[in-house]
Amino acid sequence: MNRRAFLRTTGVALGAVALAGLPVRAQGLEGEDLANLEKALQAVLGKGFKDLTPSNVIKLTMPAIAESGANVPAEVEVNLPSSQVKAIHLFADKNPTPHLVAFMPMKALPYYATRVRLAETTAIRAVVETADGKFLLASASTRVTVGGCG
Amino acid sequence: MAIRTIVRLTPAKPKAGENFKLQVVAQHPNEPGTRRDAEGKIIPAKYINQVEIYFEGEKVAEAKPGPSTSANPLYGFMFKAEKAGTFTVKLKDTDGDTGEGTVKLELA
Repeated sequence: MNRRAFLRTTGVALGAVALAGLPVRAQGLEGEDLANLEKALQAVLGKGFKDLTPSNVIKLTMPAIAESGANVPAEVEVNLPSSQVKAIHLFADKNPTPHLVAFMPMKALPYYATRVRLAETTAIRAVVETADGKFLLASASTRVTVGGCG
Repeated sequence: MAIRTIVRLTPAKPKAGENFKLQVVAQHPNEPGTRRDAEGKIIPAKYINQVEIYFEGEKVAEAKPGPSTSANPLYGFMFKAEKAGTFTVKLKDTDGDTGEGTVKLELA
């Protein structure tokens, strides 16, 4: 695998994701592991998967296919005023440590971009904690060819 | 050892009221503690677990990344341009190593 081929596939994958507009789904994603996710949700938020409300206001952008799990771009954008967003969390179902990041926007806009490690093909969850105590959810799925955790 | 930290703004000179991105890149292995070396021994975890953004001395955003962050990580934030000033980014890893980077916000 060379860099050029990698860039081309990631570019195409990103384009495909952008075109599809990321439908919000909670079920039937590739690489789901609700048992592992549930444990992480309880540990980090003290909430279970059923307490999360799927929502259209969260835009989670993940590549559909990542050749290397060591460096996968993730981007989340929330279409709510900053003052209403208390925290943004990212989870990957199949990772040994599913909790990827917690982000507290404070005075920043509710947007966060990073690069993460994914152990294998997994579902990614963006969980937004709102100021009025609600938990909103958006999901995506990334197919990983080579894992980045082991 | 200090963590090498690079901060940049996109666009470099936003107009007042315009949204801009603040991107931070750190030079750090971000070992998750699950990888093994050539002899099969686990490489101990060492990753950045605190990212704080200050604007003119006031804390404006904070992130707490977990071990599943890529090596030489990127952290992207978005702000609304209101007045000129200086952003300071402070990083800290699990061993207590720190990194700091600054960038000046100038309005177009």
